[in-house]
Amino acid sequence: MSGMNVLLQKEFREAWRSRKFLWIPLVFALLGMSEPLTNYYMMDILEAVGNMPEGFEMLMPELVPADLLLATISQFQLIGLLVLMASFVGAISKERSNGTATLLYVRPISFASFFISKFIVISAVGFVSIVAGFTASVYYTIVLYGTFEVDTLLASIGTYFIWVLFVLALTLMMSAAFKTTVAATGAFIIIFIGQIIDGLVGTFWTISPWKLPLYGVQLIRGTMEMPDYWWSLVMTVVLICVCMSIGVFSMKKNASLTKI
Amino acid sequence: MTTLLQVTGLTKRFAEKTVVDAIDFVLEEHTSTALIGPNGAGKTTTLSMLTGLLRPSFGSVNMVGGDLRANIGFLPQYPQFHPWLSALEFTEMVAKLSGVSAKKAKQEAQKTLEFVGLGNDLHKKIATFSGGMKQRLGISQAIVHKPKLLLLDEPVSALDPVGRREVLDLLKGLQQQTTILYSTHILNDAEEMTDQLLFLRDGKLVEQGTLREVRQRYDEPNYVVEFSTVEEAQYFVSQSTFKCTVNGCYVSVAIQEDKPSMQQLLESLTAYPYLVRNVARQTASLEEIFMKVAKRV
Repeated sequence: MSGMNVLLQKEFREAWRSRKFLWIPLVFALLGMSEPLTNYYMMDILEAVGNMPEGFEMLMPELVPADLLLATISQFQLIGLLVLMASFVGAISKERSNGTATLLYVRPISFASFFISKFIVISAVGFVSIVAGFTASVYYTIVLYGTFEVDTLLASIGTYFIWVLFVLALTLMMSAAFKTTVAATGAFIIIFIGQIIDGLVGTFWTISPWKLPLYGVQLIRGTMEMPDYWWSLVMTVVLICVCMSIGVFSMKKNASLTKI
Repeated sequence: MTTLLQVTGLTKRFAEKTVVDAIDFVLEEHTSTALIGPNGAGKTTTLSMLTGLLRPSFGSVNMVGGDLRANIGFLPQYPQFHPWLSALEFTEMVAKLSGVSAKKAKQEAQKTLEFVGLGNDLHKKIATFSGGMKQRLGISQAIVHKPKLLLLDEPVSALDPVGRREVLDLLKGLQQQTTILYSTHILNDAEEMTDQLLFLRDGKLVEQGTLREVRQRYDEPNYVVEFSTVEEAQYFVSQSTFKCTVNGCYVSVAIQEDKPSMQQLLESLTAYPYLVRNVARQTASLEEIFMKVAKRV
């Protein structure tokens, strides 16, 4: 495990020096605060810049805190995931193609250590980002709309984190298996097309990793069918393990592709 | 001499193409071996298999009394580093990954960097390093854990003459401490720093042995006599009992089974009033031998 510690240190150092620990959480925080603020001040914004005809009136829906959280998650689901995936899709493939992996792969260290150390660090970046995003969103939601129950809120954030772990495990697996461009295309297709499919025809099934973000909000609303929630959670964790196993296998198989 | 590495029937195939074809060789401890051959001969593929980066299709690589991966240091032709690390951070990291204890790693890294001449650049970011400095850093990462076997892929081919000389001197200094196997197509380097030669051509090991053995096999020794005029040279050839060829003022006298001796040649030259400018014995350079091996059918 000493090799693992060294690799963890290296990955943390890289994430820190490339400022990924700073700017990615910042993006999530901005996304998080934008939903409650724009919704609350929508009328003022429209009046100020909307160039609305005289006498125009708009009926704004009555929003509850859970609605704001759902809107925030929708932002995370598109821009947030895009930022996370784009930042880490080259984590393995780029090291291989630029040759920096060569001097590491010839050491007596298992490929599982290489993969897991990367996964731990990108998960940490993902965790800090989610915490920053939810904190910003929840703060403004509480100030402008109302409060949440702490336990369901934490459960919702935890659920979203499991979903993000799945996205990151898949991204890293694709990076281990393919070149960066192919990995990026593949990962984006699986995650975003999966979301579209789940949005369009997802009523035909209730158990899927793609449903976890919505289930997290339903926990807050108190409308969640718990068996569906638990099975989706189990399925996601199993898929994370599968992605990690395939990732380690692919990394080992593709070690010879590293530039010498 | 103690055997360190035994390579048997090492083969690599990519689809239908055989890139390395059943090569066998042995490396003795504390020797320096040059792997030479034209481009595409299979040198880098062979080294990749020895490092474990590439899985052989057939054959085996056995390190006597130890695990191969834990006992090698490897320097690729164009080593790439993480530019956001300093020289010391990088060398310390690879030392730890190679099994040096955390307590000793920093100290060893510092010592090694000083040995390769980067003592004043320990804390500089690698992104700011020149090509020569990166090559030195490459050597330091390869030797920081004191490997039994050092594998170097074209270690000086990307350097300017000054950098090449410095790195060669460094490698010569390492010959006493470890076993070195390096690929090169710069034959002067091989001539300078080699106990054993391995000639690869089209993936096959076509020649091997010490420099002296290989030279004996391929050398066509001769004397070259320089006369003052073409007529004198031609006259000497017409009168001589030796096997000669003439080229302008120069006459080449073949040596077969150590005959004629220099004494015999000089005696034959003094028999006539020639104006001889120079007489020298010539042996084939490694480059000439390389050309012969490379062209041999």
